Amino acid sequence: MEIKSHEAGDIIVMELEGRFDAYSAPKANEWLEEVMTNRKPPNVIVNLENVVFVDSTALATLVQAMKRCRQLDGDLRLSNLKQPVRMIFELTRLDRAFEIFNLEEEAVGAFTA
Amino acid sequence: MDQTVIRLDLPAEHKHLNVIGACLNAILERVDQVTDKEMLAYNLELALHETCTNIVEHAYSEQQGRIRVAMSVICNPQRQLIVDLHDTGSSFNPTEADDPDLDGAQVHGYGLFLMRQLLDEVVYRSSDTSNHWRLVKNI
Repeated sequence: MEIKSHEAGDIIVMELEGRFDAYSAPKANEWLEEVMTNRKPPNVIVNLENVVFVDSTALATLVQAMKRCRQLDGDLRLSNLKQPVRMIFELTRLDRAFEIFNLEEEAVGAFTA
Repeated sequence: MDQTVIRLDLPAEHKHLNVIGACLNAILERVDQVTDKEMLAYNLELALHETCTNIVEHAYSEQQGRIRVAMSVICNPQRQLIVDLHDTGSSFNPTEADDPDLDGAQVHGYGLFLMRQLLDEVVYRSSDTSNHWRLVKNI
């Protein structure tokens, strides 16, 4: 899995590409830990447009980071989920726990509104 | 019987589990008249992946080993994808694994929950020498 990032004001956008699973999740977790340590508050958007597969370890990684961001008065929001990936969030009802946006721009707008 | 078994023999490590999706897709390509094949393929890959992840993290948590996978599509008369997974690691008690509390975001417990939700049948048996998962999906 590839991780790229860019900034939109005070928000950092994590762009993932490939498979987000038990093999690649430690790399994503390490990246998120660094962001949560260095940014106050940590406002993060995870853009999943190019993620082709998400498993339960990836879900756990995102839940853990979302909870930590909120403890630090920030948030972790999701955008651009492909339909099969969105379905897994709905099945686990995590679509209610996360703020999920169709487009990254909408997620950025919601942070700044 | 209309049965062709495809077998895989994988090292029980996370980095090798992406092979399963490729194999599964190749099998499903030959199956006609499936509604929303892309979603079915994703869901089946996820269910198999979660089973293998469980084997890697529980059966082989303290040892190296292999996962033997056998996949077949049968019509008898219901068309089903049947996947048998064998390992020789520690046994696992699925009845002790609670479903996650869906009213709150959990960090653990979604793997077995997803398997049960995405498949029509999930059976686990353990013997003195090996563990066996049978996964069944009506397709």
